[in-house]
Amino acid sequence: MIYRIYISYKEGILDPEAEALKKTISNMGFKSMKNLSKGKYFDIEIIDSNKGLDEIRKISKDLLSNPVIENFKIIKK
Amino acid sequence: MSKKNVSIIVFPGSNCDRDLSVSIQKYLNVKVSYVWHNDSKIENYEMIFLPGGFSFGDYLRAGVIATKSPAIHEVIKYAKKGFPIIGICNGFQILTECNLLKGTLLKNNNQLFKCENTHLKVENKESIFSKNLKKKVVEFPIAHAQGNFYTTPDSLKELEDNNQIIFKYSSKNGNINKESNPNGSLNNIAGIINKKKNILGMMPHPERAVDKFGSQDGILFFKGLGELL
Repeated sequence: MIYRIYISYKEGILDPEAEALKKTISNMGFKSMKNLSKGKYFDIEIIDSNKGLDEIRKISKDLLSNPVIENFKIIKK
Repeated sequence: MSKKNVSIIVFPGSNCDRDLSVSIQKYLNVKVSYVWHNDSKIENYEMIFLPGGFSFGDYLRAGVIATKSPAIHEVIKYAKKGFPIIGICNGFQILTECNLLKGTLLKNNNQLFKCENTHLKVENKESIFSKNLKKKVVEFPIAHAQGNFYTTPDSLKELEDNNQIIFKYSSKNGNINKESNPNGSLNNIAGIINKKKNILGMMPHPERAVDKFGSQDGILFFKGLGELL
C-alpha cells in the first residue's frame, strides 16, 4: 500500500521560489494566473497497513513537515 | 590551558567546525573535541557548539536531518541540564528544527545567498552569551540562503517578553531598520536564546570575525564566554 504525503506552506508564509515562478509565468505572457503556490509530495510504500498509517502520520509530523510553517495532508494512492 | 572541555558536533556537510575550533582554542584557551554526529555518547563537556555549514546537504529543510542524529539526543540531554549550547548558522537551524529554540529559518526573502558583513545590535546585554560583549553594536559576517527568521505572533511575543532576542540586524549606529535587514528576518532578528537562557542560536558567524583583515568583534564574543567555563 502506498500513501502520498503532501506538504505545503501555511497561508502567509513567503515562498521566494513561488514568487519567482509567478514573475516568470507573467513574463511568458500568460494572463489568467491569479495566484500560485507550490508544495512537495512524498510517496511511502508500507508493509503493515495496521501500524503503517500511524507511522506515516508521525513521519509527516516529526520529519517531513515543520509545524511552524507547513501543513501536511495524507492520501491513500 | 584550562582543563575544561568544549565540544563541536560535526555533521556530514558541516564546514565551519575548524574555524570555530581555532577561535575557541585561541580565545578560550580550552581543549576542543570534535564529536561525530553518529556518536551516541558525549562525555564531560562544559559547552557544546553546533557549527555552520550544510549538514546533510540542506536536504528537505536546512538542519532537519541533523536533528535525527544520535549526538543530538545527547545535546538535548545537556541542554536540559542547563549546559551552554551555541548554534551558529546551520547550528541555529538545527536548534530550531529540534525545538530547543523557537521559530524557524525560511529562505531569504530576496532570493539571494547573502555573504556580507552585518552589524548587530546587542538587544539583551544580560544574557550569559552577550554580557561581556562591551559594545552596543558588533560586526559579524553572514553567509546563508536560509536565514529569514520567522515565528508565530504568540511566540514572537514570548521571545520579546522574556528578553530572549539577543541580536538584531542594524545599521552601524544600531538603528534597526529595513535597510539593514539582509534576509527578511522578522523584526530584524539575528539571534535568540531559549526560555531557560542557556541555548543561543545565531545566523551571523563570530568565528569569521577574529582576524586582522576584517572585524575582530568575534574575539569579544569568544573571550566573553570564558566565565562559563
